[in-house]
Amino acid sequence: MSRIIVSICALALIAVVAATATAQSFRVQCPTSTITHPNAANNNSEPAYAGPTSFTNGAAGYQTPSTNVNGAIKCQQISGGDGYASMGDGTQTYMFSFGPLSGLADISNGLPGTEFPNVFNSVYSGAKPLRPGDPATTDGGASPADLAVFGFNGAIGLVPDADSIAAGNCTAPCLDGHVDPRQIMDVGVMNGNIPAPLMAIDEDDEYFLTLTNVGMIMRPDLFEQHTVHFHGYPNASAFYDGVPDASVAINIGGSFTYYYLAPDAGTYFYHCHITPPEHLQMGMVGQIYVRPRQNRVPSTTTLYAALSLQQNDPRTACKSSVDILCTNPLPAGGDNNTPGGFVGGTATKKYAYNDGDGSTSYDVEYPLQIHGFDPNFHFVGMTFNPEGFADMKDKYFLLNGRSYPDTTTPGPMQTVSADGTDHFSQALPSIINIPAGKKALLRISDLDVTEYQTLASLGIPMEVIGLNAKLLRDQAGNNLYYNTNSITLAGGESLDVILDASDTTKYQSGQVFYLFTPQLDHLANDAENFGGLMTEIHIL
Amino acid sequence: MKPITIKIAFLKTRVLLPAILAVVSLAATAHAAAPGITGTTFNLTAQPAYLTQPDGQAIYSWGYGCSQAPSGYAPSAITHTFCNSMQVPGPTLIVTEGQTITVNLANNLPAAAGNTSILFPGFQVKSSGGVVGLMTQEAAPGGTVTYTFKASSPGTRSYYSGTQGDLQIEMGLYGAIIVLPAAVPAACTNTQNDHARGAYLASIGQPTEGDFRLASAAYDNPKTCYDREYLFQFSEMDPRIHQQALNQVTALKSCTAGAAGCSLQVATEPYHPAYFMINGRSMPDDMDPNYAAEYPHQPYNGNPHLHPGDQVLLRIIGQGRWQHPFHEHANHVRILARDGNLIVSATDANSLAGPALFTTTTTPGQAMDGIFYYTGRGLNWDMYGHSSTSSDGLAKLNCTADVNGYNTGNPAALNYYEWCQDHDKPLQVAPFGDVEGGGPVTLPDPNILTNGAWFGGSPYLGVDATARATGCMPSGTEQSNSPNCGTTGVTPPSGTIANSPGGEAGFAFMWHSHNEREITTNNAFPGGMMMMMLVDSREFAIDESN
Repeated sequence: MSRIIVSICALALIAVVAATATAQSFRVQCPTSTITHPNAANNNSEPAYAGPTSFTNGAAGYQTPSTNVNGAIKCQQISGGDGYASMGDGTQTYMFSFGPLSGLADISNGLPGTEFPNVFNSVYSGAKPLRPGDPATTDGGASPADLAVFGFNGAIGLVPDADSIAAGNCTAPCLDGHVDPRQIMDVGVMNGNIPAPLMAIDEDDEYFLTLTNVGMIMRPDLFEQHTVHFHGYPNASAFYDGVPDASVAINIGGSFTYYYLAPDAGTYFYHCHITPPEHLQMGMVGQIYVRPRQNRVPSTTTLYAALSLQQNDPRTACKSSVDILCTNPLPAGGDNNTPGGFVGGTATKKYAYNDGDGSTSYDVEYPLQIHGFDPNFHFVGMTFNPEGFADMKDKYFLLNGRSYPDTTTPGPMQTVSADGTDHFSQALPSIINIPAGKKALLRISDLDVTEYQTLASLGIPMEVIGLNAKLLRDQAGNNLYYNTNSITLAGGESLDVILDASDTTKYQSGQVFYLFTPQLDHLANDAENFGGLMTEIHIL
Repeated sequence: MKPITIKIAFLKTRVLLPAILAVVSLAATAHAAAPGITGTTFNLTAQPAYLTQPDGQAIYSWGYGCSQAPSGYAPSAITHTFCNSMQVPGPTLIVTEGQTITVNLANNLPAAAGNTSILFPGFQVKSSGGVVGLMTQEAAPGGTVTYTFKASSPGTRSYYSGTQGDLQIEMGLYGAIIVLPAAVPAACTNTQNDHARGAYLASIGQPTEGDFRLASAAYDNPKTCYDREYLFQFSEMDPRIHQQALNQVTALKSCTAGAAGCSLQVATEPYHPAYFMINGRSMPDDMDPNYAAEYPHQPYNGNPHLHPGDQVLLRIIGQGRWQHPFHEHANHVRILARDGNLIVSATDANSLAGPALFTTTTTPGQAMDGIFYYTGRGLNWDMYGHSSTSSDGLAKLNCTADVNGYNTGNPAALNYYEWCQDHDKPLQVAPFGDVEGGGPVTLPDPNILTNGAWFGGSPYLGVDATARATGCMPSGTEQSNSPNCGTTGVTPPSGTIANSPGGEAGFAFMWHSHNEREITTNNAFPGGMMMMMLVDSREFAIDESN
């Protein structure tokens, strides 16, 4: 009798465990295949663009791709929490921030932390457990971190789902997004980055971004949710827009995966949308850009022909007569016989937009995010004091999270955090290195919460080719690019600038030019009277 | 400024806005349009009154108003109207291209305030009567002045005081003038979207939707057709300046105009605004109805609604003295014109050349017209929650793509303007309703999420979509709750609902200044320069008649 009861109880327990396993709070999502990208083997690299996808009506009643599957799957995980950063005058400043929980090695090298599924879905297998900090400093074993040795880019915390394997629902290794919360907390707590982890995807990709709320250690009084708002996405979903009043916000101890098919190519950015005057000032700001499918046009096709093919799919078409919001109609000049540059699976030529005429081509690209910190606000943000929003005044002016001269310090920067250890929290320098005779694309965004900021180029003129993630072209196909010495942005704006150093009689190897703000009071690090919003352009 | 420490600490952490939701839920049917007064002769006055703010403050202000009943109001579908003797912004003057306009201004400001006037940038103005001023003829205290001009071209423009602008505009002396095109292009009349207006509602025996537009095109250009319009004016206030003005006006209330010492010495620097307004109101007041009785001096609101596929004209004006990066969530805005100057291609007058912006930065005195729309194109999942295997009939609508990929064949369709490429495509792998599984995403346990006051209850659009997504789970699945199915998707916590999952269930998007400091009211978040835009299913009647 008792044995039967025991076995019934055991069965009931297993059933309960199996049911609650689906109610896990931390998790990641990175499917290896989807309806849109059905062949898992093809989703770990970008295929060439040969034309729009053809669809058939699938058995389940919706359209499924039959040929020309474009794009791939990209995934990333970030934490929402807090951290510390170093200002240009050396002050250690508290911030709320997103930190990387995937692509850590790439981020420490200044690259986007966005990975294909085969990289994202890899389990950390180093001998020692991951330790706090960003990037986790364990791999090399040395202290301070030996970045040259650290190579892990997978999702932090990803482990085989033992419960599902035991229940017979899944075969080993069963990487279904189940995570070990300990790894996530070890790495995620206090690993905030400014700017937030860099993201980059390609048109036609499906992007899975998991936000994991690890709590803010210095503010145990706040049960603060976090969200991700992808700023500027056309036809955005309210559910995935990240505005807490309009949809959902993620509680501490939870993960939420944002899902988007990549929007049209351009320079977007992202930020938290919880109490924006607070969370943005405190540092929850980052960059995301979308590369155009024109980068994947094979060399046997001209750019104009490829853009003409795009017109055959209503999703990728731009027909001025019917869509008032599209800005890349076929160029008025017709086919200028510029061939594509996608060779051997690599984009050897890079463009900012699907221009159809090669006019947005560049050789190197640099995302640059303008921001400002009010030191008083960050101090009260750390010390539980009431915050004066009306009198917010930035005293630190940041390019990619740093002020001059730190903007020109190569490699990621570390700051001592409240736990007494160094955490890498500022991964991106802002040095613009342009090989002699080449062009640089600056993807400039601004998330300042109080005032407009101007950035000027001394020496190399700026050519503005895109504004608010849209190509500057009129509805008749004429390019509207313009040259200028400076651009002015407020928070919530972005634009694309090409610095053209192709005239080697003017721009020679070894020369240094400056990007700086002519708002001279912003060339300061608080009371220190030189610094601020400035960086260097090096001709290599 | 008095410290309000407790309020700051309390309000900041409340994402669900309990303190203001009582007001918001009353505003469930309050929409916007671009209301104003009509005629060719306008009799205006400049007067003081108090403006209300959501923190309970009453701010001493000056504004233009009607000195007598206007010739008429527009749009005619809004019937509960008034034009009091003071309002901020001033009355929106709605005229037609080619008309000769006369504005008579009476100065009823306190004597110590001195002269006042109106500038009409963009027009050739002749002024008569009044006294000589720097930029134009002015009305002396107790006196009048008359301005005459031809409404030479269509568009939206600002008007504001030309006298002591740093004080008078701060105090509220500004407004808008809209010139409607004399000849609306044929392409903008009798359009498909016109046929769709209210057609679904009529097909199920519900009252149809009204047409609240002032015209069907912004300019005499076939690219400027629109289905819905809103006017937004952006400004800010430093309450210390208003308090100084009140103190001085009170001290000088018996002085005679022109006498020695009968003038104000209000310092307008340093400038520390604490209130940031859209159409003279801060959030959440801006989402209350137009002509709401509780704001006798702030009649205009900011509460945009639209259906998928509607072309929405935004008339945006920067008033005050600061620029504001006004960010529209959900899509870009194609700028048609600046200050009534249509921006067209150098090679084709019927091709637009203004930029498409997701943040339409405002500049003091400058107006712009832009077109916005939302369809959900390219989301890669069916935003209506359609499913071929659902037991709900409204989940099994057809989507027949026109040449541009949208379902436009039947204007009375509930899913008119659905993006057909994504029809029936599921979002989620593991369904929590009877919305078909098999999609790319697994939605999380709702317990890890906090729901916002404007959350429609699910990722999907429309009350039936929400019910479908949170209602019947297929029997036989682990999560089955059949036959005990809920019929509405009321999301916790109940009672804090501004976009009811069982009623409106639209998509809410925040439109706000991206100088985030400005979405506060006197140091308290949320507030200030923000509003929620709702994309509504066609089963929800957008009624702007208040």
